[in-house]
Amino acid sequence: MHIPDGFIAPQVYGPAYGAAGVLWAVGLRRLRRRLDPAAVPRLAVATAAAFALMMVSLPLPGGTTVHVSGVGMVAVLFGVWQAFLALSLVYLLQAFMLGTGGVTALPVNALAMGLGGSLAAVGALRLLGRGRVGLFLAGWFGTVVPAVIVAFVLGLQPLVARAADGTPLFFPFGWAVTLPAVVIPHLAVGVADGVLAVLAWRILAPQEEP
Amino acid sequence: MRDRALLLGYLAAVVTATLVHDPRVLGAGAVLVLLSAGRDLPRLLRRLLRATLPVVLAVSLGYVVAARDDLATAGAVLLRLDLRVLLLVGLALRVLPAVNLQRALGFSDSLRFLLVLATSQVLAFGRLFADFRHALDARTPARVGPPTALRHGAATAAWFVRRAEHDAAAMTQALDARGLFLDRD
Repeated sequence: MHIPDGFIAPQVYGPAYGAAGVLWAVGLRRLRRRLDPAAVPRLAVATAAAFALMMVSLPLPGGTTVHVSGVGMVAVLFGVWQAFLALSLVYLLQAFMLGTGGVTALPVNALAMGLGGSLAAVGALRLLGRGRVGLFLAGWFGTVVPAVIVAFVLGLQPLVARAADGTPLFFPFGWAVTLPAVVIPHLAVGVADGVLAVLAWRILAPQEEP
Repeated sequence: MRDRALLLGYLAAVVTATLVHDPRVLGAGAVLVLLSAGRDLPRLLRRLLRATLPVVLAVSLGYVVAARDDLATAGAVLLRLDLRVLLLVGLALRVLPAVNLQRALGFSDSLRFLLVLATSQVLAFGRLFADFRHALDARTPARVGPPTALRHGAATAAWFVRRAEHDAAAMTQALDARGLFLDRD
């Protein structure tokens, strides 16, 4: 789902950096206001846990495998703000350490997956509770909602950045292509993420009892 | 200082590359980035192709099919797009490994502190994750089936969550014992 560098126009990544910058500042301020000495170490290991969860690959019908997004699990475990900050840091480190994503795509990836995915996952969990259905849908929405946002942003590019002759300057496909192309595969990825959230919680839950 | 200058230079180059739309300029930039690799050129090319080829091919072939009635225009659009992607990803692969992110973001103690902790944990978790994968491969001579892969994925995820909580507590105690939180108040 990561958008690579070169597909997003400055008309989009500029405002996205503005919005993400404000939210990063708010998130860090909330973290500091708690005056909890463990807040920063917890955020650091939440980042590493999100990084590790994204390495988990699961089989899809047809013999292919897919890497889970881990967004739903991270959001359920650490809450929306901490998940947003941790996932943003993951995308920054992935861009610097692995060359995936990119700095022009970073704010869009952070807002779509870090914030959109976390809000959707935690929202699903609050509505449905921590039962199997709630956990599954938290994992599923944590993957599918970011895919919808990413498809929307990609499809926006030909509308906001055109040459004088009307040809697209950045990502060339509109919503008619991006929405099905990005969202449909992620409906299946979301199932993998949802099942993972249910199974992982089943392993974790007995050890959470006092 | 060197790291911050490199990072700022890289960011300026990225912004410039997204404001320029002439394929000749984008192509010249991509060639310059490739040539700057010197003896590392084959390695850079391999990494560049691995990072860009699947996406670039999918988008380019899709666009050629969609715009098959006007291939000349489609070619011009794709040339500009693909050269820009090559230039930006090439720049990232060439410059970013040389930037020490902790030093480059040293203007904020909190940010640097967070990055050092996160990077060290990410590296450790990455190695542990590889160990888990090798252990599964070693235990299963045949190809791993979906139920096993799902159980293994869930067990790995749960293990990393517990390990993350344990590491956070251990790190906090270690930093507290060294008076770090007192110094920061």
